[in-house]
Amino acid sequence: MDPIAALGQGLVVALQPMNLLYALIGVLLGTAVGVLPGIGPALTVALLLPVTFKLDPAGSLIMFAGIYYGGMYGGSTTAILINTPGESASLATALEGNKMAKAGRGGPALATAAIGSFVAGTIATVGIVFLAPWLVEVAIKFGPEDYFALMCVAFITVSATFGSSPIRGLTSLFVGLALGLVGIDKLTGQSRLHFGVPELLDGVEITTLAVGLFAVGEALYVASRRHLIQEKIEPVRGSLWMTAQDWARSWKPWLRGTLFGFPIGALPAGGAEIPTFLSYSTERRLTKYPQEFGHGAIEGVAGPEAANNASAAGTLVPLLTLGLPTSATAAMMLAGFQQYGLNPGPLLFAERPDLVWGLIASLFIANAMLLILNLPLVGLWVRLLSIPQPWLYAGILVFATMGTIAAKPSVVELIMLAVFGVMGYLMRRYDYPIAPVVIGLILGPVAEQQLRRALAISLGDPLVLVQSPMSATLLAIAFAALVAPFVMRGLGKFKSDTD
Amino acid sequence: MSVVKFARSGAIAATLATVLATSAAAQMELKIIAPAAPGGGWDQTARSLQQAMTAEKLVKSAQVINIPGAGGTVGLAQFVNNKGDANTLMVNGFVMVGAILLNKSPVNLTQVTPIARLTEETQVIVVPANSPIKDAKDLAAAVKKDVARVTFAGGSAGGADHIMAGMFVGASGGDASKVNYVPFSGGGESLAAIMGGRVTAGISGYGEYEGQIKTGRLRAIGVSSPQRLPGVNVPTFKEQGIDLVLTNWRSVVAAPGITPEQRIAFDQLIERTVKSKAWQEQLKQKGWDNAFLPSKAFQTFLEEEIVRVGGVLKSLGLVKS
Amino acid sequence: MQSQDRRVDPAGIVVAALLAVLAGLIFYDMTTLTITQTYGVGPKAMPIVVATGLILLAIGNLVLAFRDGFPEREQPAHLPIVLILGGLIAVIALIGIGGGFILAMTILFAATAAAFGRRAILVDLAIGFALGLGTYLMFSKLLSLSLPAGPLERLLGG
Repeated sequence: MDPIAALGQGLVVALQPMNLLYALIGVLLGTAVGVLPGIGPALTVALLLPVTFKLDPAGSLIMFAGIYYGGMYGGSTTAILINTPGESASLATALEGNKMAKAGRGGPALATAAIGSFVAGTIATVGIVFLAPWLVEVAIKFGPEDYFALMCVAFITVSATFGSSPIRGLTSLFVGLALGLVGIDKLTGQSRLHFGVPELLDGVEITTLAVGLFAVGEALYVASRRHLIQEKIEPVRGSLWMTAQDWARSWKPWLRGTLFGFPIGALPAGGAEIPTFLSYSTERRLTKYPQEFGHGAIEGVAGPEAANNASAAGTLVPLLTLGLPTSATAAMMLAGFQQYGLNPGPLLFAERPDLVWGLIASLFIANAMLLILNLPLVGLWVRLLSIPQPWLYAGILVFATMGTIAAKPSVVELIMLAVFGVMGYLMRRYDYPIAPVVIGLILGPVAEQQLRRALAISLGDPLVLVQSPMSATLLAIAFAALVAPFVMRGLGKFKSDTD
Repeated sequence: MSVVKFARSGAIAATLATVLATSAAAQMELKIIAPAAPGGGWDQTARSLQQAMTAEKLVKSAQVINIPGAGGTVGLAQFVNNKGDANTLMVNGFVMVGAILLNKSPVNLTQVTPIARLTEETQVIVVPANSPIKDAKDLAAAVKKDVARVTFAGGSAGGADHIMAGMFVGASGGDASKVNYVPFSGGGESLAAIMGGRVTAGISGYGEYEGQIKTGRLRAIGVSSPQRLPGVNVPTFKEQGIDLVLTNWRSVVAAPGITPEQRIAFDQLIERTVKSKAWQEQLKQKGWDNAFLPSKAFQTFLEEEIVRVGGVLKSLGLVKS
Repeated sequence: MQSQDRRVDPAGIVVAALLAVLAGLIFYDMTTLTITQTYGVGPKAMPIVVATGLILLAIGNLVLAFRDGFPEREQPAHLPIVLILGGLIAVIALIGIGGGFILAMTILFAATAAAFGRRAILVDLAIGFALGLGTYLMFSKLLSLSLPAGPLERLLGG
């Protein structure tokens, strides 16, 4: 069947009033659960899956899509408003988004996140329709050495989050890498740095680290300086909505974010973290307002949010075409299909095109629903910030603790949360950037595993790293990105010694 | 507790307990520990038990508690402390047997009271569709020729897939300590590596590869069950002259130190759950194979598995004796 | 590179020392690994890379501490930090001994609010209690996720 006609049929199904209602309920439920830190979209879907059991396949898939997008948007909302990223994919959003919220620009931040997600989701859905069969063939050719090369690119771009001093930034990054060593080594099954604590065998939970450093650390820091500066959060300063300038500054990051998110999301081990951080650092380099980065630049929200959403759509490419669940959420989607005795893959396109296109159409509807529902709510969300400061921070801490133990109910996890909170406080006080720690924890283990997989398969021959054209290209990009700033600076210094 | 001793004390109490247990269980406020994060296999097993039991009103209430960590050994360590707790069951399975050894867990499965094996999943070895390897004999020959060049993709190190790779190499006459096993983080990742031709073969539960096998992108060269799976045209390893039988089973256990009466109450509760329509529906929905084994038989089975898995892990060099 | 003062920054020296200790710890732990990978790079490579990096950074931080001197830093208030950390420690202790989620959240909320200058302890305790109760009910009834239970939670029928 020709894709456009098929998608049209799917849309007809998804647009029935009852199905629209399911989409609405799904979006509401998903957002409500997704705002809890530590409960990302995958767990949200897992927890709410039983709710969808009672519906027919079409209705269930539509509610499912709503829950998924709602859960993702919920994570960004808390990242922007209270600096508590719900999952690793909304970390990059928190960097600039929360600064915007504190400066009274929470409204535009939430709006650019919502509209950016919508734009990216829509483009990526179109991408699924037309590019999926081609893209997936490229994606499965991507081997461990190619992933390692991609990690190298990601590591280089991390420097965008370093702040003023490279030594301080690298210090943070290496602390993150050290934390990444904790736990069972995936390739040999033995444990590193666990000090006899069984809870540490699974490693340091990314959300515990992020919530501890971002939310708890910040609460400590703000409280300790209350006598010096009265932090005054104005919920709204200037326009609640995006101004013409905001639009002008947002649309390119949305598109670039989509370009990062969709293809990397389609890679079996691509994930959402790398595209969001690549997008963040790209926007930081390309912006016309570099002085605003670190103080709430709208590009730093628009890009990563678009990348996050596009990568989520990207994971559907291997799922629908080959039946490969490449993310936790995709695995839950697979479970969603399987409850009707269906297995995704090429057969599904042939056997039940109505369902596949119904799902794609409902992703589209859920995306639109989220936008329609949340734009009016932006005003209400932002009002959260007018809660008196003591209650706001008390609420944030309750929230952070709850998210931590809901996902992993153990005292050890809470102790880690407190320790990371103190670490976040000290890093703020002594001027070490925080984001590189989390990035080190995310990227370090993946880079190590992919490198070791590549070398195990090649029986230890390091040439494998440059033999594949893909990895050679990526390594070249990484090298160029590494050297370029030095060359530029050298040239600049040569011209005028003002550094 | 040894099997014989249990049987003797159990037999005396059995007649009395049967009468009492039926009413006792219906009043039970059961807790089911899933030693894994929400969403995983053990969690789903626990939640399916919960649904079946409450739907059939076999218990007054049932609550699932997640204690994730380290292949279930974190949950096991806490569970072993609940001595004599007659209201709590824990879900576990094959993977925990290996995890205990790998993580040098201070507690082990001989300390809990086995209640029943519930489900099992058959493992399969696949190769890419364009691979020159046509059946298990070809793969065994390749292993024998140069074990290092035969790369296996599968799940976490020391898990069911890794153990099976070791057993396959051992059964083909290769050196299991030299097996080139590459663990991947998720089913999707290892599938991509196999389809992309990055590795020689892949190992996983049959269900995980089913779609790709049916569409012909992967060739299944053998299943690990003793007999062929119904409706699946893939030969067993045994048929192909390779002595390899292994299933990834899941079970429930009770706390240490419960009385024989309490054990019988659990036995009956599980037996009635397993026979219920609600449970059968859960099995169908999740695609699990029923592998019910009552407590005595399961205890013997468990003891054998502990010995066998320990042996394989040693031959793989993952556990030092 | 503003050097307000020629004095050495003690924080920089402490950071350098901590990094060196961390590197030592990683290095020691690496030597205890017994299983090596048969093919390619083993589990010891990454710890060596990280430990080496940390040592280099310890030296870098030391250099910074001497070169940049003592920067101006405001004196922080200690009471709020003590209150918030006290609240977190109370949560850890309460959940550790089985006091339950709701009580723990009540204390955390009131302690944090006090750290931010609130003096109406009873009101804050009440709000914290309501918040804890609400989330507990939502988690257990709606999502069937079990938060740590204590006497109060058991009263609610778990």
